[in-house]
Amino acid sequence: MSASRKRLFAAQGTGLPNLFGAAVPARDHAVTFADAARRARWIAIDINAEKFSLFLLSHSRKRRGLTACFDSDYPATSAETRLVNVRFGEELARRITVSTVPLWWPGADGPLSDINWAKRLTGTPAAMAAIAFPVTAERGPSGVVVFSGASIAIEADALYETHARCFALFDAVVRMGAVDQSGLPSFSKRELECLRLTAEGHTSESIAALLSLSVHTANQYLGNAVQKLNAVNRMHAVAKALRLGLID
Amino acid sequence: MAAATLQLQEFSGTSRLNTRGELTAWLMGLAEELGADGYMLLAVAYRNGRGEAKVIASDWSFDAIELAGAALLARIATGPLSASPGARAGGLDCANAPASDTIDGEQARFLHIAGHGEIFSLQLYAGLKRLFLLLSSAEPGAIDTDRLAHAQMEGCYVLSDSAHLLTVAAPADILSDRERECLAWVCEGKTTDDVALILDVSANTVNSYLTGAIRKLSADNRAMAIATAIRSGIV
Repeated sequence: MSASRKRLFAAQGTGLPNLFGAAVPARDHAVTFADAARRARWIAIDINAEKFSLFLLSHSRKRRGLTACFDSDYPATSAETRLVNVRFGEELARRITVSTVPLWWPGADGPLSDINWAKRLTGTPAAMAAIAFPVTAERGPSGVVVFSGASIAIEADALYETHARCFALFDAVVRMGAVDQSGLPSFSKRELECLRLTAEGHTSESIAALLSLSVHTANQYLGNAVQKLNAVNRMHAVAKALRLGLID
Repeated sequence: MAAATLQLQEFSGTSRLNTRGELTAWLMGLAEELGADGYMLLAVAYRNGRGEAKVIASDWSFDAIELAGAALLARIATGPLSASPGARAGGLDCANAPASDTIDGEQARFLHIAGHGEIFSLQLYAGLKRLFLLLSSAEPGAIDTDRLAHAQMEGCYVLSDSAHLLTVAAPADILSDRERECLAWVCEGKTTDDVALILDVSANTVNSYLTGAIRKLSADNRAMAIATAIRSGIV
């Protein structure tokens, strides 16, 4: 299991309020994986798809690839997810780094009716026709949401909306992964100030000088922030704080 | 291998824009359709921890862009106004804007005087490349917010297909795969030794990748490099 997946799975079963329909960035909300899967299923139902899979784009071992995050068989992994990753994983990963246009491929039963904007991956037909929506979280990773089914139908008008819903879903999933277990404790003004300055390249010494504190106090604030963010070190804390939108 | 036999089949309804003139025409059409009086397509580059706007196409006057300045434009684009696809965009009413971290009263008044009564910022993605479309109208409320979401997705598709026109180099392009990979692990809280183990190279090699990344991102240290990388969507 890759680190990103581990991180995402760490957030399971937290029983936090769900985010259904809330597309606005909600830093104080988190969804559970079950909620996210349900939300994805609603999108699937609307486009008459049978299965869905959500993948993260991973940059591991020199090669770009996809890491399965969850799918319609949650908490298990569906056969489609594995198949999609084996057949199309590399090509999808390559495409989504350069383009956000949806991609589709035909199934054994033949192609989907032409979809405006979406591009077709040709080659060996998969078992089921599918459409893939590339997504990127606001300050986080990229990924792709794949819907498959023999009778997928998306009206030209609904393509934008469906894709936008995939973006919102992915954003919620990424935020959920970054928040860890129990939501966030509150941060003091000083702690956030120190984090912000660290992100701007300041050392403890220069932060101390800027804020007229002793170096020990600056370190204390940063230590608190690291702890509250459940991070392992300063770098990790800065990354988490940025992704959560605590600092800009 | 199946992947090797895959290739793209272009559709007749392709959205590719071939020239900058077509890009301008498309932006003008989009702005008109939405009821906007002004548009600006920009990328944000981070230097020394601060965002700077790189304007790709705009109908703002040269002087207005100069007066606003790259830093303010970047703050407007990336600040709280900034809507990702799937989120509902909210506009800034420049005449009555409360002072905030993003924009102070004087800057808001400047925008108002320059003819931007209300301004929206939409995030557009072309793969990993992140761009911003600022749309403004002289009168607040003139922009059709219900159609912004559609326009935003259309923008993502059109720009994805016209990447050759987005001449501002994305910072993602300047890092090597290895440098990006190391930086991504550091963001996850890994130490040099951890990353060395994960990637199966020596700690010195990891440090040299990271030094390279820090230099290319014009950062002072690791923390600043990862902040820059996250802000520009590299990791």
